[in-house]
Amino acid sequence: MLVRFWGTRGSLPVAQRRDTTLARIARALVAAKGRRFANEAEAAEFACDELDFATYGTYGGATSCVEIVGDEDAFVVCDMGSGLREFGVNATRRCAEGHPRVYHFFLSHLHWDHIMGFPYFRPAYESGVTIMIHTGHLDAEQALRRQQEEISFPVSFDELRARIEFVVHRPGEVFEAAGLRVSLISQTHAHGSFGYRFERLGRTVVYSTDSEHRPDDMDAEGGVEAFFANADLVICDTMYSLGESVSLKQDLGHSSNIVAVDLCQAAAARRLALFHHEPSYSDEDIQRMHDETVRYEKIVRGGRPKLEVICAYDGLEIEV
Amino acid sequence: MDWRLRNDGARLVAMPTGRVDEESWKDFSAHLTSAVREAVAASIPLVIDLSGLDYMTSKGLRALTLAKNEAKGAIMIRLAAPNEAMRRILTISRYNMLFPVDDDVDPAN
Repeated sequence: MLVRFWGTRGSLPVAQRRDTTLARIARALVAAKGRRFANEAEAAEFACDELDFATYGTYGGATSCVEIVGDEDAFVVCDMGSGLREFGVNATRRCAEGHPRVYHFFLSHLHWDHIMGFPYFRPAYESGVTIMIHTGHLDAEQALRRQQEEISFPVSFDELRARIEFVVHRPGEVFEAAGLRVSLISQTHAHGSFGYRFERLGRTVVYSTDSEHRPDDMDAEGGVEAFFANADLVICDTMYSLGESVSLKQDLGHSSNIVAVDLCQAAAARRLALFHHEPSYSDEDIQRMHDETVRYEKIVRGGRPKLEVICAYDGLEIEV
Repeated sequence: MDWRLRNDGARLVAMPTGRVDEESWKDFSAHLTSAVREAVAASIPLVIDLSGLDYMTSKGLRALTLAKNEAKGAIMIRLAAPNEAMRRILTISRYNMLFPVDDDVDPAN
């Protein structure tokens, strides 16, 4: 399987500002120390090799949208955040090259940042397209219809020309979709959220975002660890520091980087992707959080195999 | 993890040793809750001497939060003498913003 991140930011899309870009360029020029480059490719190679990610790249600003490429007969997408718009453009191009026009969506929940991309999802406006929306929420259709009511958006849900079907699943149920074996787990979040476990040909990817792991409910984490068990990749909500998540941000329904490490280590998962980045964090903040998470994993690893900690960014692809 | 407790009259000092992880957090949390109640009853601060701890995972840290909730602001809970690994964990988790962290258990040092 290949996992492709189209949106990794939490809560609210963010955009780069002039000052941020200017500071980066200035930092890169200072680091280059007058060095000359024959062309842009050579300069890009220098940037990737010599500069840190927060200088030469960006974690991006689109909200949750993750593609899982497995069976080529259908697209598989977790959540419909603002990253979905760009995925839709890319998918349309792939369909023009022969990819079937079938989409399987898996919704973690129905908050704005996880569904806001759907009105801008170009394939939904095309006849001959099939869209299956897998969800644990009985009111998923209501949520998608509501955001396309006239007060919010000029094109109503009924004007979409794709064949759209909602499929409601229960936690613990195991089902087949798009060539994947899928199960879901109920998570702690306002109005509830669901994590998904995808298995194919002996490989496992877990998508677990918008999930709070509260101090007064730590006994329940055994169920989460079982859900993550032996996963090749766990994409995990790491929006806050643990300190924030138990104080100012308590009850907002999000997790921390170090709880994610602990859950993955206990589950013997192989890789953790830090995900759902706090919108107020700069790229430097997110890079620092990534570095700190790697350090924490090393401190508490004990005799266990190394858990590789990856920081998701818009455009990242991970082969599983 | 082992646990010792001493009351020097002015404060209650808890001394966990070993590590607090998914195997030991429940014991740690139970000891902490009991110590908080003892400190509240005596109206003295609770100092958690971290010098004997190798490290603490998120479950241990969240047990500290449960202890703080148990205290309901009636007493001060202080962390003291963390080793380098524990100091890093407190920084990474931002728990150094939630609890006062002293270099030494004995404030005179």
